[in-house]
Amino acid sequence: VCTSRFWFNYRHVANTLSVYRSVKRLGIPDSHIVLMLADDMACNPRNPKPATVFSHKNMELNVYGDDVEVDYRSYEVTVENFLRVLTGRIPPSTPRSKRLLSDDRSNILIYMTGHGGNGFLKFQDSEEITNVELADAFEQMWQKRRYNELLFIIDTCQGASMYERFYSPNIMALASSQVGEDSLSHQPDLGIGVHLMDRYTFYVLEFLEEIHPASQTNMNDLFQVCPKSLCVSTPGHRTDLFQRDPQNVLITDFFGSVRKVEITAETLSLDRDVPGLDSKFPEEELATEPLKYAEQLPVAQIIHQKPKQKDWHPPGGFILGLWALIIMVFFKTYGIKHMKHVF
Amino acid sequence: MAAPLVLVVLAAVTVRAALYRSSLAAFIAERVEVASPLNAWKRVVEGLALLDLGVSPYSGAIFHETPLIIYLFHFLIEYAELVFMITDVLTAVALYLAIQDFNKVVFKKQKLLIELDKYAPDVAELIQTPMEMHYIPLKVALFYLLNPYTVMSCVAKSTCAINNSVIAFFILATIKGSAFLSAVFLALATYQSLYPLTLFAPALLYLLQRQFIPIKLKSKSFWLYTMQYASLYLCSLVVIICLSFFLLNSWDFIPSVYGFILSVPDLTPNIGLFWYFFAEMFEHFSLFFVCVFQINVFFYTIPLAIKLKEHPVFFLFVQLAIISIFKSYPTVGDVALYMAFLPVWSHLYRFLRNIFILSCVLIFCSFLFPVLWHLWIYAGSANSNFYYAITLTFNIGQILLISDYFYAFLRREFYLTHGLHLTRQDGTEAMLVLK
Repeated sequence: VCTSRFWFNYRHVANTLSVYRSVKRLGIPDSHIVLMLADDMACNPRNPKPATVFSHKNMELNVYGDDVEVDYRSYEVTVENFLRVLTGRIPPSTPRSKRLLSDDRSNILIYMTGHGGNGFLKFQDSEEITNVELADAFEQMWQKRRYNELLFIIDTCQGASMYERFYSPNIMALASSQVGEDSLSHQPDLGIGVHLMDRYTFYVLEFLEEIHPASQTNMNDLFQVCPKSLCVSTPGHRTDLFQRDPQNVLITDFFGSVRKVEITAETLSLDRDVPGLDSKFPEEELATEPLKYAEQLPVAQIIHQKPKQKDWHPPGGFILGLWALIIMVFFKTYGIKHMKHVF
Repeated sequence: MAAPLVLVVLAAVTVRAALYRSSLAAFIAERVEVASPLNAWKRVVEGLALLDLGVSPYSGAIFHETPLIIYLFHFLIEYAELVFMITDVLTAVALYLAIQDFNKVVFKKQKLLIELDKYAPDVAELIQTPMEMHYIPLKVALFYLLNPYTVMSCVAKSTCAINNSVIAFFILATIKGSAFLSAVFLALATYQSLYPLTLFAPALLYLLQRQFIPIKLKSKSFWLYTMQYASLYLCSLVVIICLSFFLLNSWDFIPSVYGFILSVPDLTPNIGLFWYFFAEMFEHFSLFFVCVFQINVFFYTIPLAIKLKEHPVFFLFVQLAIISIFKSYPTVGDVALYMAFLPVWSHLYRFLRNIFILSCVLIFCSFLFPVLWHLWIYAGSANSNFYYAITLTFNIGQILLISDYFYAFLRREFYLTHGLHLTRQDGTEAMLVLK
């Protein structure tokens, strides 16, 4: 989620797109990603290199690419929409790409970036989400069994305040700076004219570029990313709510789509006559004719249900009255003597 | 005189038929100056289509025509072009016959006044002669049929043509002297668009004059005749409205037609003055200003009746013009109707003061209407103020035209009774001023 708009917040969009790119590269498809960008940098009129978002100066890495799928864009990125996505309380008309269709076996990665403060994150320059709201949203998710394990990363000023209030199990959180510290941006690009990335996410991206789907790197390595010497701010993390030891949690558990595949060498026979299971379907039923698709819908009945259009005709009384009046006026004006000529 | 009239009619019909077949027809039909929400052809078709679908045409805010129009076009919709051409021809023929009769009346009156020595001795050049008046009816028919406004109105198939035709028949019936027919046609005209109600006064004055009933408030015969005429008019109006009820078995048409005309909810720009005011106005003033604007149309009747009681046909002309300028949804078809009368007052030409400027204003404004519309709506480089300015200018031009004719008419009447060379008490030449 990128929560800032305006051109000078280019770096927040670049941050989000970098994480998006890594996550896609490691195998998670767009159908499993909800990408929220509060502003359009790639096609911004101030972008001297249109259709690109660079993460590194000298334009080494274009994180925009050519298959970015933004789910919530521009003014759709609001606190309300974000919380609705998390908790699943979404109007029925919302398309699937805008929903978080997770269940109790899903591992969720949430990455947020923008401008924040002690206990809040600013959305769109007009509203804020507080750490209390976020914690409550995660509790709702837990109670609705919407996640198995959740990794929350935030790159804002005083980011650690955002994970202070979490109280639901199985949540691990990382932040780019402690309370009272500012997260700083990495480098400006003189060609584009803005700062391209924030330091923390820059080093996270560098770290993630080394990861491939089979790597065994664990969370402890992620905690070491961006020490104070490089980042100026002190990144923080929180693991007390997490059941497993971070040492045993693979990066690809959250950032990648690695399936657990078990290869077996023995054959299994799927037997029809499983003992103990009565045949509930008598033979006669199975021998009936299979329904053809066309007959399942009574199309013929539906088509002929529209009433035939009847043309409207003026009522007879009206026509009679009108012409009687006209004839009366005619004869009143021209005298009754014309009557015998008419008839 | 029939042959030139037939020629004129043929020429007019050819022009209209040619325009119908050309690509301009679609363009003209959607011009806001020609088609207003009250009389656009598109809405008539829409209303009839709704009726075929089993829905009352008055249920939305689309259709604002009277049930008699529904009845007329239900059977004639395929021949719509023919209907409108025939309507225009009928209007022109009615105006022709009316003005022919009116000329005879003018002569008789003039002769009477000369014999009664009511005229000053040196006004020989102001007296109208049969020679110069011979071609006036033809000119009237020509002015109506070949007026670009009428042609555009006909090509756009705006039902304003039907309204004009009913008013023309009303004028013919009044001038012929038949109170009954005149009341019936006036009722039809009022039934269709509310404003011809104000034509009741000039028609009444003309009929009284024709019956030689003096217009004095104490006179019993005056009140008797007025009551007769008024009751004829009101009865026919009531009968027509009740008959329309039976077309659709509902009174829906009353708020849709009369409520619409009076309360002006649709603020589509047209050549009138209402739309801009009400677009800019705050809600809580709009009722007040609607009342003010509507009263403005009816307001001039009584003063004009007092001033012009000897000249009811001129009064009719001025009243028609006031209706076309101040009505809630004017179109150029309404303007064309009163402009058709201008040849009747061609003897006033020497007294008109601003005729050149006014004709230039009217012509330029007519050309600028589509230009500024295009600039506003399509090019986006102008805004509604530009179009409103042209509307204002056009209406000011019309008002000045009418007041110029009014002044010229009164001046001529004054000269006729007081002589052409007016002198003040000290012998210097005097100038007539309209106060």
